[in-house]
Amino acid sequence: MEKKSFKKWITSGTVNRNLCIFTFMLVPVTLLLVFTYIPFAKMIQFSFYDMKYIGSREFVGLKNYLEVFTRSDCFRALKLSLYYIVASFVQLALALYFASVLSFKTKGGGVFKGLMFFPYLVCGIAVGFIFKFFYTRGFVLDTVLQWCGFQLDNLPYWLKDTNINNVSVAATSVWRYMGQNMVLFIGAIMSVDSTLYEAADLDGANGWQKFRYIILPSIKTIIVLNMILSITGSLSVFEPPYVITGGDFGTGTYFVIMNKLAHESQKVGLASAMAIILFGLIFIATMIQKGIERYYLGVGDKDPIRLERKKRKEEKALLAKGGVK
Amino acid sequence: MKKHDIKKLLAATMAGAMALSLTACGGSSDKGAEKETVDVTVDSIKLGEDYTDVTADIRMITHRTDIVDTKLAKIAEDFNELYPNVNIEFEAITAYADEFTTRLTTGDWGDICMIPTSVDKNELGTYFTPLGTKDALSELYEGNMLNGSTYGDTVYGLPSMANVGGIVYNKAVFEKAGVTETPKTPEEFLDALQMIKDNTDAIPLYTNFAAGWTMTAWDAYIDGGATGDPDFALEGLVKGKDPFSDRGDGTGPYAVYNTLYEAVSRGLTEDDPTTTDWEGSKGMLNKGEIGCMALGSWCLPQMQQAGDNADDICYMPFPITVDGKQYAPSAPDYNYAVNCNSSADEQIAAMCFIKYIVDESGLAQDEGGLSVVKGAEPPAVLADFDGIGLVVNNAAPAGEETLFNDVNNDSELGVNSSGEIATQIVEAATSGTKTMDELVAEWNAKWAAAQENNGITP
Repeated sequence: MEKKSFKKWITSGTVNRNLCIFTFMLVPVTLLLVFTYIPFAKMIQFSFYDMKYIGSREFVGLKNYLEVFTRSDCFRALKLSLYYIVASFVQLALALYFASVLSFKTKGGGVFKGLMFFPYLVCGIAVGFIFKFFYTRGFVLDTVLQWCGFQLDNLPYWLKDTNINNVSVAATSVWRYMGQNMVLFIGAIMSVDSTLYEAADLDGANGWQKFRYIILPSIKTIIVLNMILSITGSLSVFEPPYVITGGDFGTGTYFVIMNKLAHESQKVGLASAMAIILFGLIFIATMIQKGIERYYLGVGDKDPIRLERKKRKEEKALLAKGGVK
Repeated sequence: MKKHDIKKLLAATMAGAMALSLTACGGSSDKGAEKETVDVTVDSIKLGEDYTDVTADIRMITHRTDIVDTKLAKIAEDFNELYPNVNIEFEAITAYADEFTTRLTTGDWGDICMIPTSVDKNELGTYFTPLGTKDALSELYEGNMLNGSTYGDTVYGLPSMANVGGIVYNKAVFEKAGVTETPKTPEEFLDALQMIKDNTDAIPLYTNFAAGWTMTAWDAYIDGGATGDPDFALEGLVKGKDPFSDRGDGTGPYAVYNTLYEAVSRGLTEDDPTTTDWEGSKGMLNKGEIGCMALGSWCLPQMQQAGDNADDICYMPFPITVDGKQYAPSAPDYNYAVNCNSSADEQIAAMCFIKYIVDESGLAQDEGGLSVVKGAEPPAVLADFDGIGLVVNNAAPAGEETLFNDVNNDSELGVNSSGEIATQIVEAATSGTKTMDELVAEWNAKWAAAQENNGITP
């Protein structure tokens, strides 16, 4: 009797449904908690301690945060992000260009897409080693430039010369991520209704006009998304400088310095505080970008705030004049 | 309708099974909570006589990726002739220092490891089995070599070998350049490098800057080697005022670091330090494309095996003379230690094995180092060190064991750990941004702040 009622209870509509939801969620939620949120909570906790990886810990309150702000090297390193932000705009422009060309019928389009996407599949550490040899004196880059008529003596040391080494390193991330951006753009362009192009053709629009008035408005969301990802990525660059130069000769980005503090000087608390401050900065940067997007471009079907305000103003002016809507 | 019920039941049981399997994973992980203590000490073990019937599967974690399948495997095989029931497995880790520190805290990593430098002395007992008292083990091994792994009176690790600090050079290149005597002062050394630059095509001094860890070699010379004083590391460096300043007599840390600064700024090193290649440098030294490199004696076998000119590879003390005598720092390499969370049999087997490696295998001399066993013969490559005073740093007194690490970490100069000082020197001297005096002032300021943090008033 009791067993039957349990069976009934467990198989009854809502319980069964909740049970399914719960059990299916259990695995992904556990993974998410164990590998993302618990470590993150731990890191927040560490940032309030003076601690090494092993050994005793001492609670120091906000001292680590104060130190991040008063040290000269942490925020100076953030300036290097400008190199990567500029690089990310170059990367987006190139990606957009190739995407618009390759989304129409082009000879060997598939091959080009494949070739340009390929670098994204190479692991970041390997990319670092590739470019270390690429930039070595008298190796690949210098040889190619010598074919073009440059003299070896006039070429800079790509990784040693502090005027150019950050550009050299940032260029590697353009090489790596351009293809990925391009593929995202191609996907977005493909989803544009093809009848629009036919109509534009009938009206005699040229290639540029089609790009400016059909493609660009249709994929603005994905462009903004890529921009946000690129800029937040630029703030937290790690692999290229870490592998290629080890952060020496003025190429140490925020993350590289953080890694140095944590692993070489065992200042885990300080490094955790740096990580959390960077998290805050990225969060703010994203919010600002979101705001700008909402104001100038509009999200989804909504008009941009800028246009809405303008409309409202005009309506008010009209009403004030005593006009009729 | 019935079919529907079965489906629901199936879903529920599957969900239950999944939940169960998850908890099962969580439940079995608290192995090693209770420690088994053994009262065996390394000095009391007679190899081949005691515990030959011990049965255990032991796992050794090592940083020697290069010899794990060859020399170490051979040693394990020989060991099994004496101890047939001990099964030894090796695991070699490339980024040993970083990766193993994290694994160590789990307690369940294996049975034998090399003690990472990040473990402070007062924590040795938390992770490792006591191997014996300092006094008893000093009968068998060089007492000062055990300092690094001793806390209180208990020894927790046996040094795999002892390194000697010096300069590895290619004899043929020096002869071709017209350098007939090994330089004994920084000035003579720089002159010799200049002669190599002028008279040969070789790179006089190769910094191996890009590899990073290679720069720590310069830190190894600054205490015993540059002063001849086994107490300098503690009294002069940790507790001394402005330890990086010029002492005016061509000795001390300044003399060592200034040699590097001058070599780089006079163009006696490679063109582009950012793209140096550690693996390639071995062959280049062997072939005579490089004059010399600053590396510990452990590098000698690798340099000799990198080409056909093994006989040209020589080793000289760092060119500093204190009151007419040259010194070379000698310090233990990584220490073998035994996991105190392993079972009693595993711990005994592990102790027998590390005693075997250190006492019987001859691995230390094979690798170009000194054995820490008393009265052991030095390896042939170190024959040039006749008459050179080998300085082993004295142990820090009780209560001050962690002082050096504390000050060093606080200062972020990474002496003997990251080579930050030598890195800064190469950067500044290459791009001409800072003079040696400006660098020294910065280091002294950082060091003084760290000293103050740790309650030291020099």
